[in-house]
Amino acid sequence: MAQHASTEDRSVPAPRTRGWSEDWLAVVAGAAVFVLALGLLFGSNLLGWVTGPRTWLEIGKSVRPVSSAYAQVDALLLLLVTYAFVLALMTAAAALLGMSIPKFIAGFTLLYWLSYLSWVLGNYAYIAVTTPAEMQRLGLGWSLRLTGEFGYVLALLIGLAIANLLPTAARWLAEAARAELFIKTAIVILGGTVGVKAAEQLGLASSIMWRGLAAIIEAYLIYWAVVYFVARKWFGFSREWAAPLASGISICGVSAAIATAGAIRARPIVAVMVSSLVVVFAMVELLILPFAARSFLGEEPLVAAAWMGLAVKTDGAAVASGAITEALLYGDAAARGVKYSAGWLVGTTTTIKIFIDIFIGVWAFILAYVWTRHIEPRRPGDSLRIGEIWERFPKFVLGFAATFLIVLVIGLGSSADSLRTVNAAMDQANVLRQLFFVLTFFSIGLQSDLRLLWQEGIARLAAVYVVSLFGFVIWVGLLISWLFFSGIKPPIAG
Amino acid sequence: MSASNDKPRIGEELGKMHAEPLLPIEKKLIAWSLILGIVLLVVLIWTGNASMPFGKG
Repeated sequence: MAQHASTEDRSVPAPRTRGWSEDWLAVVAGAAVFVLALGLLFGSNLLGWVTGPRTWLEIGKSVRPVSSAYAQVDALLLLLVTYAFVLALMTAAAALLGMSIPKFIAGFTLLYWLSYLSWVLGNYAYIAVTTPAEMQRLGLGWSLRLTGEFGYVLALLIGLAIANLLPTAARWLAEAARAELFIKTAIVILGGTVGVKAAEQLGLASSIMWRGLAAIIEAYLIYWAVVYFVARKWFGFSREWAAPLASGISICGVSAAIATAGAIRARPIVAVMVSSLVVVFAMVELLILPFAARSFLGEEPLVAAAWMGLAVKTDGAAVASGAITEALLYGDAAARGVKYSAGWLVGTTTTIKIFIDIFIGVWAFILAYVWTRHIEPRRPGDSLRIGEIWERFPKFVLGFAATFLIVLVIGLGSSADSLRTVNAAMDQANVLRQLFFVLTFFSIGLQSDLRLLWQEGIARLAAVYVVSLFGFVIWVGLLISWLFFSGIKPPIAG
Repeated sequence: MSASNDKPRIGEELGKMHAEPLLPIEKKLIAWSLILGIVLLVVLIWTGNASMPFGKG
């Protein structure tokens, strides 16, 4: 789940100061965006000035505000206002996390504009346009058909290049590269979008949620057992290493590895080392799996979305891969004349990832029970507490649930006209959600230190990871996704 | 991105690892997890298809 890389400082959980964690800060930041967006329901266009890229041929026309009410305002000014708003939100979070504010602002500013530039470049018409009709409208003879979400991949690659080629710049930016904070804020905002989808198609949304829950129960039970067995039996790892490794590879990356290491009382170095590998391989998965899904799951978009949630580790990389998958598969479908309703794939990936996150605490508790009762009994007074489940519960999920339920309740009680207004409100929030996505991509790249793979002794650890992930987890994840989601299609747009 | 001087060396750490044969409780954990996973797979697919057919087609 978490997204801190490298064997050094960025591999440890986020700092907690004054009672604030990144999870709670993401809830507050996401809720702020959500509440402003809901202003539209009361006749106040409080977020219409948010500016994002559109498909462009001339750079001067590459961005526009989300609401036409602001179309006459200078786009450059709105760009700066959007930057100032996101900067204010994130700087407040940084302050509550006890970071150095000047350092954060300087790093975040560079990170923001490089990310934004990647986002804009990804929307260049020759890269992004997917349909013949759009090509004809813009007078294009060809297009790479990579969709505007190619900007995310571009951000990832730029971050990766800086991390591995410009280590001084990477260190300077590291404080501001809070991938976990960015993606969790985006997920809280996304709750509203998923809520609208659920209000429009309650039966389908319920079915996806139920199937997602069923799929992750399967993933936990099957993945973990096999990876633990492989690590212990084939590679000769001790229990202290094998359990966090199995959780990191099979469940949800860094948080699962840290929670498991804590549950079995492993030394911190174990969680640190496993977490470092998780981040590197999550980045590799993010670059490969969406494109693999495009090549053979074009007719089964929800299988592809579920697969991303079950196979790609860490929240950031998983939800990001869901977004890329949606862009690629929807783009191909549009080229065939099928226009699916937006948001269903990324919503499915996110839902699955959130269910996985919820169960990390439960799984860690089960492992703690087995270890304390049967493997390494604890000393008197150091007993297992049920409260440990809550301590490990990812609190940002509460933000997602709240925005989802609020919009669902409003949507179900609304007329068709009101539902359109709710949809428009969430569309406004969605631009900021995409902006947090692109910041996440850049940060993931920046946190992926590939030199880790050249460390002496890493080969054995990496071998378990490669064998388990690419030899088992990815394919079982695909099978489970297929069993639960094949034949289910997203609704057609319009 | 650079390594700090006191960074733990993974080679050394893994070198310290002792051989630990699988305990019966670990075998049980693995076996029960897999058995439960496979049984639930059948149950969940069946109940899912029976009670939540939405979107199929």
